[in-house]
Amino acid sequence: MGEPLLSVRNLHITYHRQGGSVPAVRGVSLDIEKGGSLGLAGESGCGKSTLANSLLRLLPPETEVTGEITLDGKDVLTLSPGGLRAVRWTSGAIVFQGALHALNPVQTVGDQIAEPMLVHETADSQDAARARTIELLGRVGLARPRATAYPHQLSGGQRQRVLIAMALACDPLLLIADEPTTALDLMVQAQVLALLDDLKQERELTLLFITHDLSVLTYACQRLAIMYAGRIVEEGPAWGVFENASHPYTRALAAAFPTIGDRSSRMAPSGLGGDPPTPGNLPSGCPFHPRCPLAEDGCLVEEPSLRVSGPGRSAACILV
Amino acid sequence: MSGSDRLTSEHARRRGRRRLILRKVLGSILTLIFVLVFNFFLFRVVQTDPIGSLFRGRNVPAETLENLRTSFGLDKPIGTQFLFYLKETAQLNLGISYQTRQSVWDEIVVAIPPTVALVGVSAVLSAVIGTLGGVIAAWRRNTWKDQSITSGTMVFYSMPDFWLGMIMLVLFGVVLGWFPVGGMTDAGSNETGLALLLDELYHMFLPALTLTLAYLGEYTLVTRSSLLDVMGEDYLTVARAKGLRDVVVRNRHAVPNALLPVVTLTAINFGFVLSGAIAVETVFSWPGLGKATADAIRGPDLPMLQGLFLLFSAAVIFFNLIADITYSWLDPRVEEI
Amino acid sequence: MSLAMQRRRATAGRVWKQFRGSRQGMIGLSVLAIFIMMALAAPLLADVRELSPVYARAAGNPQWAPPGEFPPLGTDFIRRSVWAQFVWGSRVSLFVGLAATVLTILIGSIVGILSGFVGGRTDAILMRVTEWFLVIPFLPLAIVLASILGRSVWNIIFVIGITSWPSTARLVRAQVLTVKQRLFVDRARSLGGGGTHIVGHHILPNVSGLILANATLAVPISILTETTLSFLGLGDPTAASWGKMLEEAFVNGAMTRNAWWYFMPPGLGILAVVLAFTLIGRTLEEIANPRLGGR
Repeated sequence: MGEPLLSVRNLHITYHRQGGSVPAVRGVSLDIEKGGSLGLAGESGCGKSTLANSLLRLLPPETEVTGEITLDGKDVLTLSPGGLRAVRWTSGAIVFQGALHALNPVQTVGDQIAEPMLVHETADSQDAARARTIELLGRVGLARPRATAYPHQLSGGQRQRVLIAMALACDPLLLIADEPTTALDLMVQAQVLALLDDLKQERELTLLFITHDLSVLTYACQRLAIMYAGRIVEEGPAWGVFENASHPYTRALAAAFPTIGDRSSRMAPSGLGGDPPTPGNLPSGCPFHPRCPLAEDGCLVEEPSLRVSGPGRSAACILV
Repeated sequence: MSGSDRLTSEHARRRGRRRLILRKVLGSILTLIFVLVFNFFLFRVVQTDPIGSLFRGRNVPAETLENLRTSFGLDKPIGTQFLFYLKETAQLNLGISYQTRQSVWDEIVVAIPPTVALVGVSAVLSAVIGTLGGVIAAWRRNTWKDQSITSGTMVFYSMPDFWLGMIMLVLFGVVLGWFPVGGMTDAGSNETGLALLLDELYHMFLPALTLTLAYLGEYTLVTRSSLLDVMGEDYLTVARAKGLRDVVVRNRHAVPNALLPVVTLTAINFGFVLSGAIAVETVFSWPGLGKATADAIRGPDLPMLQGLFLLFSAAVIFFNLIADITYSWLDPRVEEI
Repeated sequence: MSLAMQRRRATAGRVWKQFRGSRQGMIGLSVLAIFIMMALAAPLLADVRELSPVYARAAGNPQWAPPGEFPPLGTDFIRRSVWAQFVWGSRVSLFVGLAATVLTILIGSIVGILSGFVGGRTDAILMRVTEWFLVIPFLPLAIVLASILGRSVWNIIFVIGITSWPSTARLVRAQVLTVKQRLFVDRARSLGGGGTHIVGHHILPNVSGLILANATLAVPISILTETTLSFLGLGDPTAASWGKMLEEAFVNGAMTRNAWWYFMPPGLGILAVVLAFTLIGRTLEEIANPRLGGR
């Protein structure tokens, strides 16, 4: 058990806009061991994509980022521009969401996959890069002719695979998958998940999997962290957190997805009422209290910190 | 659209593109026909007696005039006259100028090269400089670089182009005496070859500067706007995430996408090359199509105006077609329709 | 006051507040206000008789006098006060610019709304006509029409209106199509609202913002076109606009004499008014489409 591959300590991210400052991430800490996999779940606006982008310092320059991010032993936030560029895609790579917008419309997908190889010189020549591109495309299940296709000529599922192939181009240590299965239909989702699982095993990838779909994470990840209003509100082994949640929010999230084959889950009203809070306008005390079925008076006063709720588990709720 | 494969074969794509081009060419021809119809009927409405106007003030016997009218087919029904007009136009027989009594076509042909030279050079310069300015302004948006470029070009774009020319002419020609005050060559000089060319360029400097300044604003604005749109796209973040330098992200990923509308604009503007400098040519007495138009207005020399209008329209239609085709060739997303 | 009225009032108030906060918008508005006041107050600022060459001669004005000699702006080639021409010329330039824009917007909006709302064959025909106008070089067409129709203020207004409406029509049509797709139009139909009702109560309010922004940006084009047409000799000989001043300055040799006091003021006036409208138009665009804000 050496050093974790990724270590985040007390990360605060604040956007500064014309209307004011918006705290998107408010003190997040997490670790991922080498070869491990962490799932990060939450509704939109909870800060998970902001967190993902911050790991490679991809946020707009006016964004205020404090805390510590250590990736493969390097302090990401204090790297020089040259050092940062070297780390990007080689130590950590991101599979972005919304594949059509993540790909340059006027460049072939093959060129886009080969590009980082040439930039980081992990391929010796154009031909080597091309060969490796075709190899990667094959590995993600796409035929050779796809290399000369433009993004708009591929289906959504195919584009997602291209993004995965692209992320693997420089053999990264950490793979960050930001909502890779959103907006794909169930069949394709399953294929993409299976692919990620295979890749993780054969390349000993460390995986950070971000999504709003809890059921997906329990399949793909060892550990789970739930985010709400810019903070982690529960953390622990995936199945444990899913089956037996400590935090009321996790419980609601887990119940929101009917289990196929379980008729009772179809009948029982679940799903969380209300909307997630806007980052600039958080409720007092625990930000979840307006939607929490178990809220008490104490919940309006102070925001609970993460406390141990079981072996290797923690949750941020006063009821724990 | 899951599982379906929209990757069409290269062959099918080419076929689709050819069909697209054919449709656009036909569309352009149709527009040109409309222009011819418009041109003919509009001027026919006003030119109630072209022969009379042509020989106004000259002592020509009525019989000769009648013979001329018959030979020009002016006694025939309007439909026949229109077909006659089409035939003549196709043979580049555009009538006779009221003012000079020479063939309209001959007068026009002589005036084309000076205009193409002046406006062509200005169009290229304004496109290049304007686009560069727009790229810088967008990439460094809201900094002083952006604001000075944007405000500066906006000011130039908001003034009458010929007024800017007047200022240039008075300041650099009259007051400072650095440049000539008009014409394309020095009157009375017999230079030839290179010396003549240099003299012409010398005369062209001020009007070209005027036109370039007046029109680069459009390119700056469009490029800036287009690049700003592109800058919000995710694939630029992806490019950065791959470890590319900022400049490379800009030049390899952002700019090519942003340039698509600029290319269209440039091609369209080349269509306006012929008609773009009417007032500026007048200020600098530059012997091109613009000055010919201004002179024709003073008549009014209707056959000249008719011929010039036809030429201007044809140029615009042609270059709009080129713009369309170029865009569909550059943007891989355009297939059919 | 009906609910719709109230909401519209509130929107207008909101827009004004946002506009007031925009520095570029307020600069544009102030400059425009100055020129409009100058145009309206023309009789107070300069004697209209000074525009007559006969009066000027009788008054013993010098020819080509610089401002030092004949404040505030000197005299021209036939002894008339340049200041008087500038002040009174502003009326013509502003009037023609605004009137031509009104015509442009009127034609463009009607065509755009008809085309977008009725659709089908009407749309196809109108769009063909619009495209045709867009392809024809604008200035030559204006020149041709003006040459044929003759030199008067109303003809110039007509010519500019007739040649500028296509881009407005295209914009309006696109917006109408967007609005049409929205559910509430179908709801209005199912409630029994007829064509005019839908157009009046649903389409127009959602399109008017766009039309207003487009109008403010169309005025500069109208003014610059009138200036160019007048400079080329197609303006109304009796109505001295700023463009006409530039023409007379040019034709009578103001440049060789460096009579800057004759051709600088009208050009600066045009520049100022055009910039003012452009700033106002851009501010309105930013308010209507917040995505553009901060650009």
